[in-house]
Amino acid sequence: MTIPQFLLLRQPLPNNQINSLTVSPKESFVQQFFNNKENLNANQQENKKMIIKTEQDEIQNYLVDASNTKGFCDAVYIPENVSETAEIIKEANEKKQSVTISGNGTGLTGARVPKGGIVISTERLNRIVEINTEQNFVIVEPGILLSELQDTVKQKGLLYAPDPTERNCFIGGTVATNASGARTFKYGPTRNYIEELEIILPDGDFLYLKRGENFADDLYLTLRTSSGKDIKLTLPDYEMPKTKNASGYFCKRNMDAIDLFIGSEGTLGVITKIKLKLLPLPFNELSCILFFETENNALDFLIKARDESYKNRRLKIINSIDAAALEYFDKNSLKFLINDYPNIPVNAEAAVWFEQQCNENEDDLLELWINLFLDYNGKEEDAWLAMTEKDKENIIGFRHTISTNVNEYISLNNFRKLGTDVAVPDKNLIDFYYAIKKDVEEKKLDYVIYGHLGNSHIHLNMLPKTEEEFAKGKKLYKGICSHAISLGGTFSAEHGVGKNKTEYLIEMYGQENVNKMRVLKKTLDPNYIFGVGNIFEKE
Amino acid sequence: MKIAVCVSHVPDTATKVKIGEDGKSIDPNGVTYVINPYDEYAVEEALKTKEKIGDDSEVIIITLGSDISKESIRKALAMGADKGVLLKEDNQRDSFGIAKALAEEIKSQGCELVFCGKQSVDYDNSIIGQLIAELLGYSCVTVVVELTIDVNKLTAEREIEGGKEIVESELPAVITTQKGLNEPRYASLKGIMTAKKKTIEEKPAVDSINLTEVLRMHLPPSKQTGRILGTDKSAVPELVKLLREEAKVL
Repeated sequence: MTIPQFLLLRQPLPNNQINSLTVSPKESFVQQFFNNKENLNANQQENKKMIIKTEQDEIQNYLVDASNTKGFCDAVYIPENVSETAEIIKEANEKKQSVTISGNGTGLTGARVPKGGIVISTERLNRIVEINTEQNFVIVEPGILLSELQDTVKQKGLLYAPDPTERNCFIGGTVATNASGARTFKYGPTRNYIEELEIILPDGDFLYLKRGENFADDLYLTLRTSSGKDIKLTLPDYEMPKTKNASGYFCKRNMDAIDLFIGSEGTLGVITKIKLKLLPLPFNELSCILFFETENNALDFLIKARDESYKNRRLKIINSIDAAALEYFDKNSLKFLINDYPNIPVNAEAAVWFEQQCNENEDDLLELWINLFLDYNGKEEDAWLAMTEKDKENIIGFRHTISTNVNEYISLNNFRKLGTDVAVPDKNLIDFYYAIKKDVEEKKLDYVIYGHLGNSHIHLNMLPKTEEEFAKGKKLYKGICSHAISLGGTFSAEHGVGKNKTEYLIEMYGQENVNKMRVLKKTLDPNYIFGVGNIFEKE
Repeated sequence: MKIAVCVSHVPDTATKVKIGEDGKSIDPNGVTYVINPYDEYAVEEALKTKEKIGDDSEVIIITLGSDISKESIRKALAMGADKGVLLKEDNQRDSFGIAKALAEEIKSQGCELVFCGKQSVDYDNSIIGQLIAELLGYSCVTVVVELTIDVNKLTAEREIEGGKEIVESELPAVITTQKGLNEPRYASLKGIMTAKKKTIEEKPAVDSINLTEVLRMHLPPSKQTGRILGTDKSAVPELVKLLREEAKVL
């Protein structure tokens, strides 16, 4: 074996080049940042060398994601700063080399898994640039971990509300997929918290987008780059599902330009800075897992709690039930968790986890929740309430463990993930739930059902043991997606389309609209270098 | 029978510990505190013992510390303990100072059986149970992984190096608990609601001298960054030399 030159060294760009790359047409946060001499020099003072990995055993980790989708590439670039990133992209564009942007590999659709070309890993673009406790925002680079961001702002008395279950993801990935999580039930998805973005386009030019500044004129959107170039886009005209959704480009008449890039899954540009809105940290929160002896009771309870929450929110009734999160676990999920949580009550057929932020009214709220629980035959001894911060973490861990256990099972058996990410209109939830459960049982497949049922968003994961079962499961998976779409829902509510779900996007929006998305992409990325195979096929 | 459980409120092992300005104590800012994990086994075993004996036994939680320690008492009460006592002390005591105050309280409560975690995960002295037993003249069985209690006698299995030891003892006794003894129950909603109504008795901890003094605390040395010796096979001899002479792993 020859010893490879795995470590090629690159010098950072001189100052003047960085400045020339960042002339913004607007007074943006990025400009302010770059005007700050100290920050400007930070990377150069450290004088770090960019790592480029080409040896196969070194890049293995970049060729797979949490869905166990696998790929290949020529090299992995790990830039130390934004200007290096722009240089790599420019070069790749000149060579018409495809570029896959990589977060932390926690995605579930293969979006970060390359099919050739190069990978740019954002892992070293991982700084918190600024936390502003007066105006409640934070500016970050894409490679910062969600957990680190959440913990850091929490110590400053602030809350970053989006909480995708996998806290080891990079923020960049959550922007690229418009990720959501349990608390989306109250706070909405990542999109709602993005105020500004810095984006590198294929030719190394920059886009700075600030919410509220640039809107489409009907279906026509003009983007002005930092070098003063105008890019004119025609938006496809399709109606997005009214449910939680993370499939295809966000497009609608008179939309804000920034929304096009949120959820674009690495196909339009590389996001290098993100300004996020923060909320004041709530005084306290109730976090509780309730176990039920029948599935019906659990689901009915959940629906009641959901409707109460919507009503109280709408009527602004304070000191009332208003869940931040409403999560569901079926019996199989609980069985899947029993080794990690041996205290799960033996008679439990299903469970609901709720979270609600509160002030000093904790006891009153708890009483309302307990009464509701008792209405659905709940037993107080079958409920876990977090008393301490640690308990809250444990409950979040409970929810997280079901996902990781499923992903580990899939990975161990070396199948690709067969987990739905469907959402349906609220009114269809119960019928839909029982229908897909019946389907999977008829096929005699092992499965678990859990997820964000407060948002009518269901993760049904099939657990195939053989190739034959996998094939059966895949067929069923397809049927479930079609079923959700036919109800006006979506096949992907939070994971995105990636490379694994492109066929369903066609089913949802029609071939013509998907073609229009491709045209839109080509206008921004004429050489088709970014995220090849994500959202839709190249041709 | 009255059963005492000594519970300690300690920094969560996952928390990032910083040393305070005096260089001798932990900076409490940003630290998440939890009930000492080994004490959870102690609470569970006390509750199981009470359930087994079935008469009017009582489980009393005793903690020495400041007001924030009440959180751990509350937790033990929610698990099912009957009563809590906080021996108030805002200053750091050494193990002897803590054991002295706990022993006094155990004596005045008239407890014949005492459970402690085998150690607390903050200072790791593994000594409180033994000191209490000595101060009260009780027998003491440490690092217990299995326990049977009959009228006035107990049989315990304890972990020893490379094996297990089975011992028998009369009551009164102090047991220190090890992981594996039981699976601590979760505080149920019902337990928590009931615990809200239980009172925590607060009183000053009896005076005691400290027999040891912390002179200085320091964090483990931070990991050194790696060194790249070269990128091809010419670097191998140097690598082998350094692994042998500097890292001393070969």
